Amino acid sequence: MYWVSVFTEAGNFAILALGLDVVWGWGGDFDLMFYGYLALGSYMTFVLSIGKPTPPVEYIIGWHLPVLIAILLAIVVVVCLAAVIGAIALRNLRGIYFAVTTLGAVSALYLLVENYTPLFDGYNGVYGLINPGQSALNLTYNGYRIFFLVAVFVLLFLSYLLVQRLSRSPFGRMLRSVREDERAAAAYGRPIFFTKYRAYLFGAALAGLTGGLFAIFISAFNPSAWTPQELLVIYAAILVGGRGNPRGVILGVFVVYIGFIELTRYLPSPASRPDFGPALRQVLIGLAIILMLRFRPEGILRERPGLDTRPESAGRPPRGWVEALTGTARGAAAAPASQRAAGSSGLRSDEGATREGDASKAARRRAGQTGRAGDRE
Amino acid sequence: MSATLLEIENLTKSFGGVHAVRNCTFSIPEGQVVGLIGPNGAGKSTVVDLVSGFGRPDSGSVRFAGEPIVGKRPDVISRLGLIRTFQTPREWRHLTVMDNVLLARRRFANESLWRSLTRARRIRRDEEKDRAVVRAILERFQLAELRNELADRLSGGQKRLLEFARIAAAEARLIILDEPMGGVNPVLGARIGEAVGHFAGEGRSVIVVEHNLPFIESTCHQVVVMDLGEVIAQGPFSGLRDNPRVVDAYLGMDQSHG
Repeated sequence: MYWVSVFTEAGNFAILALGLDVVWGWGGDFDLMFYGYLALGSYMTFVLSIGKPTPPVEYIIGWHLPVLIAILLAIVVVVCLAAVIGAIALRNLRGIYFAVTTLGAVSALYLLVENYTPLFDGYNGVYGLINPGQSALNLTYNGYRIFFLVAVFVLLFLSYLLVQRLSRSPFGRMLRSVREDERAAAAYGRPIFFTKYRAYLFGAALAGLTGGLFAIFISAFNPSAWTPQELLVIYAAILVGGRGNPRGVILGVFVVYIGFIELTRYLPSPASRPDFGPALRQVLIGLAIILMLRFRPEGILRERPGLDTRPESAGRPPRGWVEALTGTARGAAAAPASQRAAGSSGLRSDEGATREGDASKAARRRAGQTGRAGDRE
Repeated sequence: MSATLLEIENLTKSFGGVHAVRNCTFSIPEGQVVGLIGPNGAGKSTVVDLVSGFGRPDSGSVRFAGEPIVGKRPDVISRLGLIRTFQTPREWRHLTVMDNVLLARRRFANESLWRSLTRARRIRRDEEKDRAVVRAILERFQLAELRNELADRLSGGQKRLLEFARIAAAEARLIILDEPMGGVNPVLGARIGEAVGHFAGEGRSVIVVEHNLPFIESTCHQVVVMDLGEVIAQGPFSGLRDNPRVVDAYLGMDQSHG
């Protein structure tokens, strides 16, 4: 059951990371408010589904909605908050200014939630969402936990399909062009603010969904369940997995959560220092970020642009392709050498290798073309 | 005389106490290449920024195809059919060459977030059409082989060509080139001149901001000369040699250098 809960948590965070990657990976905005959206989504799911508060507990709304509807409404509320924050922060602020503004926003939210008890019962938080629908599904407690794990992974898969489709779409391309160079994007007719704003709301919706799932997962939510700092681990996961690549982001979350956070629990820690394990975990995550930035800044799976394949190059290899390939092989070997000379900054040690890969691919493509030309003669 | 596409009237802009542009008035006819020249600090680039929406003038008016465009955002002006470049090529570095030019095709309708998610098949069909056009353009600028490379990896000259490929793909009515010859070798320069002529041949208007006077002479139908934020002359290049103000402000300086 321990591993069920670990994977459920990682699955949840993977959905969150997919949303954050749209904002940061494609849009380029380092948003520190993002964990706040998760928290708000979680709180809203509670207060919409657990019914009236019994004194001394107090919180707003207190409806008794089915949990799925509660999550949907929570997403709407989260997107509304993101609409306000985004409208302020995305208009003119970039880089560190945007980050600081969103940090201010999440700190304000955190202090408000913690100190203003009529909202979400302050420091004590909200609780009481225990395995909603368990009796209707006729499951045991553990059976429900496994069912929930499957449900989270189905939602993760659906989120992945959605994000992947968006990534390849004209919208994804436009958003990346704004990230790469705003002024050029504007010169070619792209509204900078509105493009980023839409991406921001989309990302926040996924954060709201994650919040709703978290409500079911941990069945209680209070300020100690979320701090703005937790977001940095998600950023680390995106960085490790591959910023801008949805598959890489999911991979990164599992690597960081399972590889670092969970496996380090098994490290022996001296009786005198029970905090050794958690401390080591932080060190390992920090080390991973440094190593990734040094040796593979684009992450395990790099952002992959859609490649353009000529329609006619698909299909069986034409006759004579062996000769063509060997004929151009020499040229292909020469090309990467010159390219390597041009780009050998030494910082990205893998680049020579991938370029070689690209060049040989190009050679094969060229080989195909010359082969066909030979056919026609 | 063909119709006027761009009308600039009494355009004024100051930064602090400096008058970058003062009562600037000129117009660009449809289908003509107009050179905008003047010494450094004459206000040429400021005029380009003001016209394309990257800056807001203190006073004056700009009409594009009859429509006033002062105060509109750059992307709105661009959608009316005005494409500008910047002094250094501004490619989208971590997108492929193909994606760079595809973006310049500007099929805005398909870029809505909702449509991107729901109309995948329709979008793919539109995109296939655009890709065919873009491949032909890349062929023309000798970038076809590089279309799957990241724009980041192109050489300086190739980045210039990519800029022109994007402009060709955009099919704008007015093209403003801010120093297209910066850092360009003579062979490439000749090809850029050809491309500019080609755009004019298609009925597009072009404004060229440039210091390279032989290039201006060979490509432009007429020239606007600026100095200290003011337009000091407008007309065919050949007439400028006899204009004492122009000689004093620009050509004179050029000769003393040369």
